[in-house]
Amino acid sequence: MPDIRLEATINGRKVSRAAKPHQRLIDFLRDDLNLTGNKEGCGAGECGTCSVFVDGVLIKSCLMPVAKAHGARIDTIESLAKTGELSVLQQAFHKAGASQCGYCIPGMVMAATAALRANPFADREEIKERLGGNICRCTGYQKIFDAVELARDVQNGRLPASVLAEEEQAEGDFIGKNVRRIDAPSKVTGKLKYAGDMTMPGMLHVQVLRSPHPHARIVSIDTSAAERIEGVEGVITSADVPGQDGFGVFVSDQPVMARGKVRYVGEAVAAVAAEDLVTAKRALAAIKVEYERLPAVFDPFEAMRPGAPVLHDYAPDNITKHIPIRVGDVEKGFAESDLVVEETYSTQAIEHAYLEPEAGLAYVDHDGVVTVLSPSQNITHHRHMLARIIAKPISKVRFIMSPVGGGFGGKEDMIYQGMLALLAMKTQRPVRLVFTREESIASTAKRHPSRTTLRMGLFRDGRINALALKMICDGGAYGLSTEGVMRKAAILGAGPYAIPNVRVDTYGIYTNNTPSGAFRSFGALQTQFATESHLDICAERLGLDPFEIRRINALRDGGMTHTKQKLGKVSLTRVLDAAEKASGWETGAPVSRGATRSDLERADTRPPVSLGARLVPNGQHADKQEAAE
Amino acid sequence: MLLCDEYITPTTLADAFAAMARHRGRHRVVAGCTDTLPWAREGRAGDVEIPVLIDVSKIPELNERRVEGGRVRLGAATPVQRFLDEPELARALPALPRCALWFADDQIREQATVGGNIVNASPAADVTPCLIAHEAELELAKSENGSIVSRRMKLTDFVQGPGRTDLQEGELLTAVECDALPAHGGSFEKVGQRRSLVISVVCLAALVKLDGEGRTIEDARLAIAGIGPKPVRLTEVENFLRGAALDAERLESAAEMPVKLVASRTRQEYRREVVRGFMLRGLVNAAKRAGADPTVLTSDLETAYA
Repeated sequence: MPDIRLEATINGRKVSRAAKPHQRLIDFLRDDLNLTGNKEGCGAGECGTCSVFVDGVLIKSCLMPVAKAHGARIDTIESLAKTGELSVLQQAFHKAGASQCGYCIPGMVMAATAALRANPFADREEIKERLGGNICRCTGYQKIFDAVELARDVQNGRLPASVLAEEEQAEGDFIGKNVRRIDAPSKVTGKLKYAGDMTMPGMLHVQVLRSPHPHARIVSIDTSAAERIEGVEGVITSADVPGQDGFGVFVSDQPVMARGKVRYVGEAVAAVAAEDLVTAKRALAAIKVEYERLPAVFDPFEAMRPGAPVLHDYAPDNITKHIPIRVGDVEKGFAESDLVVEETYSTQAIEHAYLEPEAGLAYVDHDGVVTVLSPSQNITHHRHMLARIIAKPISKVRFIMSPVGGGFGGKEDMIYQGMLALLAMKTQRPVRLVFTREESIASTAKRHPSRTTLRMGLFRDGRINALALKMICDGGAYGLSTEGVMRKAAILGAGPYAIPNVRVDTYGIYTNNTPSGAFRSFGALQTQFATESHLDICAERLGLDPFEIRRINALRDGGMTHTKQKLGKVSLTRVLDAAEKASGWETGAPVSRGATRSDLERADTRPPVSLGARLVPNGQHADKQEAAE
Repeated sequence: MLLCDEYITPTTLADAFAAMARHRGRHRVVAGCTDTLPWAREGRAGDVEIPVLIDVSKIPELNERRVEGGRVRLGAATPVQRFLDEPELARALPALPRCALWFADDQIREQATVGGNIVNASPAADVTPCLIAHEAELELAKSENGSIVSRRMKLTDFVQGPGRTDLQEGELLTAVECDALPAHGGSFEKVGQRRSLVISVVCLAALVKLDGEGRTIEDARLAIAGIGPKPVRLTEVENFLRGAALDAERLESAAEMPVKLVASRTRQEYRREVVRGFMLRGLVNAAKRAGADPTVLTSDLETAYA
């Protein structure tokens, strides 16, 4: 593979150096020049974290072979605040609080810079359209659009530069105030280093061999050919685990790499550390694994039937966790009710899709301390688990939490940190693993898919007298956070309502699907989707307004939940009042609405998404002439 | 991951053909690379090793653009974004600026090329139906005994099915020639899973020319993609509309006509609904931009579809 000679002007500096013909511009900038401000979120042009200027034109550097940049002028996020002074846009992002995890923000700042260069007077609709190639998952787009509008007005002299300055704030006065984020400058400049941005001298690159089968016995693994490849410094399998091989938030049912059998497509089977990524990939291809396929089960209801394939010996019924709650006498409650309604609700698996794919760096330090740096949302627990897995005292295990480029619960599980530790120990060199987006989606936890059967008994006046809820969740191949998710689903499943008779059962079930785990709301979403949808249906049946039926049943100050928690203040009725007002709700039962809706097309409702703002003269979007396009 | 041993960027057609001949059987021609790089990833082609990539995007002939004699000539390496930022192109090709807006995003449009969209031959290509409606012809060149020879072919004949074209071994798509239609109003309707960066589920290009009063359809051009193995021109509908009065009834009848053409592998029922709606919306929008008399398009039609 002969190198190519690349000459370019990068952030105002002449660069002339060798590059590999297969490298993309992002690889060259990040790996060879250590310009890590721009990120790689997807590698497929979808997310915009890698947006840079090439000859003044914004492009996605993951879609550009580096050879195309020969002779070009390239400007990365690092070019915007070169002397340490933030650009107007960066200051506006800081001011508007338009940075949370920060991983999308360098790309957003670049896209915003390009948008205002293309049209310094772009209105909000046009800004949205021009930022359409960049995805954010946690900041929220509104603050970003606010920031771009603020910068536009400052640049055009419509607002004084002083609006970008920090507001005076009385000491200790935070509630109801906009508090400036102290970490924003590091994010809007791209200076903040996430795990995948970090390197160490002598660092090796890790790649993971993953299972192509949902359920199979591992007959043999032969790593000898991979180990013989020049540049391969270490290959590990479950045979390299010195201690008790198991991790999990509640039950330690998951080995660092598949042990004896694989239980889902994408499960780690072996890992390689090599001098470079390409060598590591070639080594993966040289590992021979012989599998004997086993019957697999993909549906939790089937997994609960007698004779279904069993995933874990300790759970012959495939039940990861069952949480039962009993209050009063539900059957009696139904018998007393004027109306009993039963429906079944289902929700699907959801990927967290944080913009930062999993990444980690591990090394054994000068004192022999095995150190793992990663965006782990649970480092103390990870540290305890890893100590047991590698059979070392806790004092010889250290976890460092790198900035989390979005987690939403998806980074609570110790999916890859164990492999990094083992490879650092085996090679005695720093090792780094950066997941691809596809790998992240295929191998890490999802929101639990659920099926909830809900039976509710009500009096004619709207009071709920009895609730029976049974939820079956697909927990996937390993326990991860399933137990906690089932617990929370059960605790919050009956909603914030005072119900005298309650029966709740939530089940997490093992299947050969991708493991389910923690995800924002942690189980509450699934049961509450059922309960709240059900209340709307019951309101319709009783001829009640949906807000009203909730007010009738709302827990009040001093109320008691169905898990016997006595509440002090309960804000539910205030929340309902605010939601009713803000939504422009038309009072009445859901069936009472006429042919026309008065809650649409109000001054504060948004038109449907559209494109074409830039083709419309400035300031004319309000008339929606292109709205439906 | 896409691996290659050599990345060649010829700056003349002759150099490109020489490189293609030298590396025959072990090369791939690329331009914008915006489809090739995502293709070489897990879930699609996986890790791919192609010994030689030949990048034709820097060849001057492939970057020519001119409007003359009622025709437009577009070099095959023309980035899609040019339909938005070159006013002469936007005037001559009235549906293409709107097509460009729905095509990927601003950044990808700077790299993705017209030629790439054509030779990829996706059943849901965005640019192809627009060009078909403009009666596009392709110029396909190859090197023969040391000299460059070219042939011409209609775009509708060139694209044969998903990923299949009439491109021959050793041939390059060098240019597209199509009708300049500055007096037509143009529209492009597209639906996908989200707004930006999606493949079309259905897309429609509509071009309408009206008489001076804005009441009679002098010409209509329609092409649709996403409903079958390749983009199609709706000639039958065009004939039905040509010379007819611009009125709701006519447009509604026209909108029904292509519904029967839906032959996609999936979601046919949904696509039929979309086709009917897009036909009306596309024709109404194109007619408005062609200067339709506001009294002939009923307000019903406009609220429902414009």
